[in-house]
Amino acid sequence: MRIKKKYLGGVAALGMSALLLSGCSSSGSESDSNTLKLWHFESETSAMGIAWDEAIKIFEEETGATVEFEAKSFEQIRSTASQVLNSNEAPDLLEYNKGNATAGLLASQGLLAPLDDAVEEFGWDDKLAPSLQTTARYDEDGIMGSGSWYGVPNYGEFVEVYYNKDMFAANGLEVPTTVAELETVMQSFVDKGITPLAEAAAEYPLGQLWYQLALTQADRSWIDDYQLYTGDIDWQGPEISYATETLADWTESGYISKDSTGLKAEDAGTAFINGTYPIFFSGSWWHNRFTTEASGFEWGTFLFPEAEFSPGSAGNMWAVPENATNKELAYEFIDITMRPEIQALIGNNGGIPVAADTADITDPKSQELIGNFNTLTEQDGIAFYPDWPTATFYDELNAALQELVNGSKSATEVQTQLGEDYQSGVDDIVG
Amino acid sequence: MSTTLTPQQTVLPPKNVTKPRGGMKKKTAGDWAILAVAILLGLLIAVPFFLILINSFKSPTDYNQSGPLSLPTELYVDGIVNFWERVNFPEKLWNSFFISSVVAVLAVGISMLNAFALGIGRVKGRTWIVLVVLLANMLPQEVLLYPLYFMFKSVGLYDNQWAVIIIFVVIQSAFGTYLLASVYGTFPKEILEAAAIDGANRWTILWRVVFPISRPTLSVLLIFFFIWTWNEFLIPLTFLVSNAAQTVPVSIAVLQGDRMMDVTTTSASALLGLLPTLIFFLIFQRTLTRGITAGAVK
Repeated sequence: MRIKKKYLGGVAALGMSALLLSGCSSSGSESDSNTLKLWHFESETSAMGIAWDEAIKIFEEETGATVEFEAKSFEQIRSTASQVLNSNEAPDLLEYNKGNATAGLLASQGLLAPLDDAVEEFGWDDKLAPSLQTTARYDEDGIMGSGSWYGVPNYGEFVEVYYNKDMFAANGLEVPTTVAELETVMQSFVDKGITPLAEAAAEYPLGQLWYQLALTQADRSWIDDYQLYTGDIDWQGPEISYATETLADWTESGYISKDSTGLKAEDAGTAFINGTYPIFFSGSWWHNRFTTEASGFEWGTFLFPEAEFSPGSAGNMWAVPENATNKELAYEFIDITMRPEIQALIGNNGGIPVAADTADITDPKSQELIGNFNTLTEQDGIAFYPDWPTATFYDELNAALQELVNGSKSATEVQTQLGEDYQSGVDDIVG
Repeated sequence: MSTTLTPQQTVLPPKNVTKPRGGMKKKTAGDWAILAVAILLGLLIAVPFFLILINSFKSPTDYNQSGPLSLPTELYVDGIVNFWERVNFPEKLWNSFFISSVVAVLAVGISMLNAFALGIGRVKGRTWIVLVVLLANMLPQEVLLYPLYFMFKSVGLYDNQWAVIIIFVVIQSAFGTYLLASVYGTFPKEILEAAAIDGANRWTILWRVVFPISRPTLSVLLIFFFIWTWNEFLIPLTFLVSNAAQTVPVSIAVLQGDRMMDVTTTSASALLGLLPTLIFFLIFQRTLTRGITAGAVK
């Protein structure tokens, strides 16, 4: 009993002293006219983290203002942005998620400041390829592609093929340049008892492969119809039938393992890193990780063969809240991050700069990555992601493709299902 | 499973011979079965913890090569060190500790006062009052989020730890009121009457009679409130905007990126987040078990 009493008293005393000690600890960070309150969610060792650190230094030197930087979590910005931006705690500049459901929604609620004047003054539109501007502009309903500028993307991302050079060499295989060649390559792996494609149907990788296959048959107006609701999509049409049927064929032929229905992107990625699968079709966001962690073998990248378009987009972007106190400083900071030297820093650290001079990129692996990206943007080949059109399509697409891979639904049934899901989601948005 | 159990089976009986407990001379087959089930259940519950533990000390390369289930080949503490420095862990630890202990103390106090009125004072319509109070517990926090956000913004407590403290004092004391009111409902009338005859007023009865007798229950509540508040995520995430005000579970979320996750560092952060509550539990677990068994009045 005595011991217990002592402990209990101890806790109470601690609690009370905590109460007294911190008194009124209201974190009143008052914003004077010479402070830039900046939030982003990139880790300090990532390409953007390194480059933006440098940008902060340059900014402080040139303007004499101080930067009050806070590292946020992606989750925190995503789930609390609408509340924070509506209060006095709003930062002057933040990195925010692009897309209709995120930046578009906040823009339509008037929480983000339109940047048209700043874009004109600093000429950012000249530095960004047209397909990269799509995610920066939103109309009054918050749908991307047209209307005012609400964000400035600083880096890009896209989906490409990673391949294990050692495994290709051991089997005497070359990098395929056509889909037919790709199938031959995969067949030779299957003949040796190796499943060629690292896939994950529980998360985005398989959906992106499906979309890529559709893109090989598509043109820009089909992409606009699909992503920007400019027209109707024929879900039994040649683009989508090709994608679904090819996936079914590839599963049948053993190019894609049926086990992939239960796997996540992380599983597929680590399986590529430890050399289980020779080919992984996924995003540039893996590049840095493969560089540091895939040490057991040589690997390379190439764009999906015969594809004019690939999934990809501008990265998350700088946005200025309407409640920001120092908008002018925010614009100046954005401009610094668009400078060649900062863009080159992003490029040399494994990221994809949107406005870099390729001559500034020295690291060979990064040259290859950025070369692929530039090829894609030059042919206007950035086609966004399959799950963008509606808020629920990501899960619906994964569920449908899982059924396709494990054989419980035929290609036609999957297409009908996806068409209904897509249409009901789009109707909710367009009205 | 049975192979792992046999060594313990052979070790235990001699212990029983030297130290007979509770008059039980020989364990029956049923006792062994129950023991086996308990051990199995314990192992099942411990599995996630072991996964966190082994992955916290694994290097990313090691993780990629051998997956999450194998033991680390070498002790790798960079994950823990990185996380510690990145989020300024001592500061988050203090914030969590401050919020949780203030909430625990205040919520127990309020629960006791409420329960005194409802359980011993027997106010009219107490069932309904308890029901309304319990709404705070029954409503999902997502529903409360926006109303709370507007309320605290208009009084200027947004981005302030006191917002979180006030919310959790209310939520925790709702449960505390419910539990204590039924405990106090069975409080022996004789003791209260004896105190009243001795000339004690209500305050003296509460402070000198009810409080000391129900202390075991109160201390259990205190520990639960502390641990529950410590583990809260959504409301601290919403209300604590500045990094300097954030709690441990919120800081763990810093490691989750848009598409990438760093399994080993995330494990390390989970381990660091879990240790304080584990230590807290180990220190107070005697109080906890006694409180549960004591509960009633002697």
